[in-house]
Amino acid sequence: MKNIFPRWINTVPIKLILSFGLLGGGIVAGITYYATPKYTRVGYQPTQPVPYDHSFHAGQLGLDCRYCHHGVEKSSHSNIPSANVCMSCHKNVKANSPLLEVVRQSYYGEDKDRDGQLSENEDLNGDGVITAGPSVPWVRIHKAPDYVYFNHAIHVNRGISCVECHGRIDQMEVVHHAKHLSMSFCLECHRNPEKALRPNSEVTNLAWTIASGSHSVSQSEVDLEQIHAGLEIKENWGINPPLSCTGCHR
Amino acid sequence: MIQENKDTTADSGKMYWKSLNDYSESPQFRTWVENEFPNGASLFEDTQRRSFMKLMAASFGLAGLGFSGCRRPEHEILPYGKSPEELIPGVPNYYATAMPTSAGYLPLIVESHEGRPTKIEGNPSYVPFGGSTDIYAQASVLNLYDPDRAQGSFQKEQKTLAGKTSTRWKKIQSDLILSKLVDWSGSGKVAILADSSYSLARQELVSELKSKGVIWAEFDSVDSISFESELAAKLDSKKPVRAIPKLKNASRVLSLDCDFMGNREPYSLANSRNFMSGRKVNKPKDALKMNRLYSVEADMTITGGVADHRLRLESSRMKSFLCLLGAEILKTKTKNDTALIDKFSDIGKDTSEHLNWARICAKDLLYTNGKSLILAGNHLDAETHLIVYFLNGLLGSLDKTVSYVTQPFSSNTGIQDLVSSINDGKVDTLVMLGGNPVHATSGFLDWEDISQKVENTIRIGFSIDESSQFCDYHLGCSHYLESWDLGLTWDCTSIIPIQPLIAPLFDTKSDIECLLSLLSDSRSSHDYVQSLFDKCEASIIFKDFLRLGVLKKDYTNKLKVDDLKSILHENLKPSVLEANSKSEVLLVPDFHALDGSFINNGWMQECPHPITKLTWDNALLISPKMAKELESKFPDIGLLPKPTLLNQTGEIAPDNAVFDNGYQKSPVVELSVAGGKKIAAPLYVQPGLADKTVVASLGMGRKNTGRVGCEAGFDSYPLLSNQDTRVLPVLEIKPTGSYKILANTQEHWSMEGRAIIREANAEKYSKNQDFATQMGAESHSPPIWGRDQDTDLAFKSTTTPRGNSSYEHPDHTYEKSETHGIHQWGMAIDLNQCTGCSACVVACQSENNIPIVGKDQVLRGREMHWMRLDRYYSSAERNGDEIPSDVQVSFQGVSCMHCETAPCESVCPVNATVHDEEGLNAMAYNRCVGTRYCANNCPYKVRRFNFFDWNKRDINQLYQGPLGDKNDSLPAMGKNPDVTVRMRGVMEKCTYCVQRIQEAKIRVKVKAQRTANLATGNDGADLKLNTQDLKVPDGTIRPACQQVCPSDGVAFGDLSDPNSRVSQLKSDPRDYAVLGYLNTRPRTSYLAKVRNPNPAMPDFSDSPHSYREYHDKAYPSHH
Repeated sequence: MKNIFPRWINTVPIKLILSFGLLGGGIVAGITYYATPKYTRVGYQPTQPVPYDHSFHAGQLGLDCRYCHHGVEKSSHSNIPSANVCMSCHKNVKANSPLLEVVRQSYYGEDKDRDGQLSENEDLNGDGVITAGPSVPWVRIHKAPDYVYFNHAIHVNRGISCVECHGRIDQMEVVHHAKHLSMSFCLECHRNPEKALRPNSEVTNLAWTIASGSHSVSQSEVDLEQIHAGLEIKENWGINPPLSCTGCHR
Repeated sequence: MIQENKDTTADSGKMYWKSLNDYSESPQFRTWVENEFPNGASLFEDTQRRSFMKLMAASFGLAGLGFSGCRRPEHEILPYGKSPEELIPGVPNYYATAMPTSAGYLPLIVESHEGRPTKIEGNPSYVPFGGSTDIYAQASVLNLYDPDRAQGSFQKEQKTLAGKTSTRWKKIQSDLILSKLVDWSGSGKVAILADSSYSLARQELVSELKSKGVIWAEFDSVDSISFESELAAKLDSKKPVRAIPKLKNASRVLSLDCDFMGNREPYSLANSRNFMSGRKVNKPKDALKMNRLYSVEADMTITGGVADHRLRLESSRMKSFLCLLGAEILKTKTKNDTALIDKFSDIGKDTSEHLNWARICAKDLLYTNGKSLILAGNHLDAETHLIVYFLNGLLGSLDKTVSYVTQPFSSNTGIQDLVSSINDGKVDTLVMLGGNPVHATSGFLDWEDISQKVENTIRIGFSIDESSQFCDYHLGCSHYLESWDLGLTWDCTSIIPIQPLIAPLFDTKSDIECLLSLLSDSRSSHDYVQSLFDKCEASIIFKDFLRLGVLKKDYTNKLKVDDLKSILHENLKPSVLEANSKSEVLLVPDFHALDGSFINNGWMQECPHPITKLTWDNALLISPKMAKELESKFPDIGLLPKPTLLNQTGEIAPDNAVFDNGYQKSPVVELSVAGGKKIAAPLYVQPGLADKTVVASLGMGRKNTGRVGCEAGFDSYPLLSNQDTRVLPVLEIKPTGSYKILANTQEHWSMEGRAIIREANAEKYSKNQDFATQMGAESHSPPIWGRDQDTDLAFKSTTTPRGNSSYEHPDHTYEKSETHGIHQWGMAIDLNQCTGCSACVVACQSENNIPIVGKDQVLRGREMHWMRLDRYYSSAERNGDEIPSDVQVSFQGVSCMHCETAPCESVCPVNATVHDEEGLNAMAYNRCVGTRYCANNCPYKVRRFNFFDWNKRDINQLYQGPLGDKNDSLPAMGKNPDVTVRMRGVMEKCTYCVQRIQEAKIRVKVKAQRTANLATGNDGADLKLNTQDLKVPDGTIRPACQQVCPSDGVAFGDLSDPNSRVSQLKSDPRDYAVLGYLNTRPRTSYLAKVRNPNPAMPDFSDSPHSYREYHDKAYPSHH
């Protein structure tokens, strides 16, 4: 009887296994690369309604982070400044810049002639006070999931700098997501806080490293010095970051 | 502040609904309106909305095709234009305000997250309540976000189409209605019918209105104060007379049908707090100093549950019993006044079978000399209260355990007088302000007729209800969290402000605003309240007053009566009492709905009634004896289950008359009283009821209410034939042949002799202080705790067990181990302090975003309460197959015990529930895959599973899953942002309010760091903090259940600190662990209950019934 199957059929199973293997491996590799926070979050740089330049304000002018994000030491949430904070300078500086129109609208609101008084025909909702305008719709960059309760106050008060999670904001013209902020990122630091702990006065100094005041040359020496200094802080301050679920999930 | 902008689909659905007004004249819309509005629900018709959603979903799906769906959703952060003072985003603010109730203003501190009030707590500055609140205050925050409240102001439009008249409510401006009202008031024939209030601002405005000729009438749905005016009339006092109990000083209390710790009486928070403080037993020696409560009652109330001696007696026989007892007191006190003694004895004849009880009780009341007190329920008549006043005077308790004062609010025109003026044509314009008079008077007033006789009618109410149906306009009334006001507490000794936490969510007005505009006063309610305050109090400025929330200012006057005895002689007529054999119906405010105002509140509907444990329904409560009589009269009624039988195939045949699919059916009967008034209601057999009393509750079964309350319970108001008689003789009870299934969360009532709740009599405890540890299987089973056998429970629950292992165990103390926390949390619940008020259940629900599930799911046992209150009965009669009549009630709050060797943890396949370093049994929702093994393995049954997206879906469409309608988003505003809102498929349970723990820990650490920094100037490694600085001081963290508890029954704190309150309670000899023999080592332990019965009483037993049950079961040979 004639062979029904041609000879090349013999290699089909091995080819199938190989190609499925490759396909599967590819999917796994793809998901591992593309579907983790390292890929999905890092580099996210949306366009903001106002082209606020952190590298200019925080870097060149040297504004402290807490000038605008003033709730960061007291609250779980580091607030985005309200329009009146911007206007405390920009009433005088670049007072007529078209780029700041959104901020001005938000600040003045019902006060159409922008004289700080409630003039005639201005009180649109009839409540007797100047109601602020619509909020500036800043686009959110860093977002912890709903079930994660990250608290800014405890971190910045206990020697963790902004730079640890947000990167060198003072060098960013437009802010982007610098670190991946996945759970492993959190846990790494919670397990070894000494790598990040620094004196309280340097928390908002994003350029600070332990090397600033020492003679260490190589990176490994700096790292070692940081660990030593960090361990000392950890010991003296009683730093004991939670490693269990209740620390962040409530 | 942070808003997602991806919800466009949901929004467009709503936009569509709003724009329907544009089409309102089209015939299709007309029909739709007619279909919809008779029920008052502003819901979309199912099919229309469904097809609309489908279409929209498709179009939005297409719009998303350009892979935009793969992108990260864009969120906006919306900061303020001008930042409000005192607000840091993420940090809650707390404001002092008050809740106006029919029992005075309830001082509150309300938590606000970025302007949204989320949680209500008591204001501790008001000493009598000590920072506690009642269950209704806790639930009232949900009313603010009730989607079924009047979302604005409306004009009624009626049209007749094809012979059918239909009604719809058209939205109009509230100011328009008010200006119309001002126009109408020009005629001078305006009458206002309002609920009673303790508002000083309103009182002031009303007197101004009255001087302008406005008729002001007051009416309360459930009358609890009219006896005060009647008593005043008898005592020749101009202002109503009020008895303010001072239970702290009382050591013997007799309560006559007075639920002074429950929802039926005012001032229950102070009463619970003061009375239960007299039952605190810190040392075994204290047990003999405990106070003693005698309760004579018809209903089974939580006050009766606390009682040491409880006598079941019909409400209509209370006066007779009081006289029986009074005669005994008189015989000791004033032997020569035989005329009075004879009169008393004569009236007391009717209850002479209880003579022995009364005699010994009287003896005990006399024994304490001025530390006794008699209280009578507010549904009893003024004559009874007069006798109580007299007897309290005889007992020497006036001004010691009770003070009789005259209160500042004079009584107003009643509803009957108002109706007669309407009939006389004296009224053109009728305003119904607050309350719900039409519903509550359905038994005796014909509103159809009344509304015909007035030209203009305006309803000012919180929701469109029965009263609105007879009005042309409905003006939405603001919630108290949206209003300004100034008022008094029930005892009239403190003034309290109401300040708004939020601007009115809708176009609504507060009552003060309405009255101001009626008076054409252009001031805002804030300015008015401020000027009023400045007028009546000059010692502090208004701003400081708002900050404090309470200011002492006595508005009462001491009652002076000259010749009480002659008044008594005049009033004591041998009353014509009903024949003994007649049964009575007692009408009480409902636990769930109160007078009807909470009927649409899901938290209240789902909170089980403390005694019956019914949810979402009320029932006609009857005594077991009456149940038997009914059974013999109507053998097919199906009230009591027959003994189960095996059918032919050998399976258990359920009693079809009683069970339906495993749910107990309750026969619906028709109850009729004089005047042809009748109601149909399901029966529920309640142990502890007086034999001939039927208890029906007022407030449920409203027809015009929202989605939550529309099918809840039955209405008993039609039985009333006037406002203040709430005890009526029953003419007939007959079965209707239909049945209703009631959702009961605890059908079994007995502990079956297990040592779940441990109790002893005071005398026994003073002699044998270890009785609690000598109970339960752990006391007489082989050693299960290995080396730890003799250590105390706090030690056991904070150390990992070593059993009898010979291996050395690592040292897990904080200093030696990195995996051990600085605190070790634990809780102690003192069962001797628990009254069963259930406030903790709702407080927990409010704090922890616990959803409601609806009656259907409660029937399946899927209620979500993290804290449940178990109620057990025990009795001397232990026949087994019969429901007992005389019972002792014991309550036990049960939530997650945070076992050190938690059985749930060992079965979780994904480590979603694990221990943390401070001993909390953590539940990581985002890790849970929903196997429910943990719930199966939990011996305390405290884990709750999200079978559905309770928070997301409409409660009637749970089974439709993602196809079902989304919930209204309004209630989401009240969610606590510090707690995850759980989704379908995850397990949840009590966390010891971990959000409060973490918040406090962070606060303490931040403060310690900053203080040390400021003090030393150091900020690097040279700054040194010691462990003590980082510890949270005892008492800082108070879980929601502890914070709300009026009787201070819950203690939470650090077990590793021997001086913390919880550690001290745990070293009490009464401390025991529930199911301790399982070696779960729970962190929550209980302090056994101590009862204080009088050995001379006829119903005395030397141990509580539950103890005897336990003893007989554990040691059967001792019989």
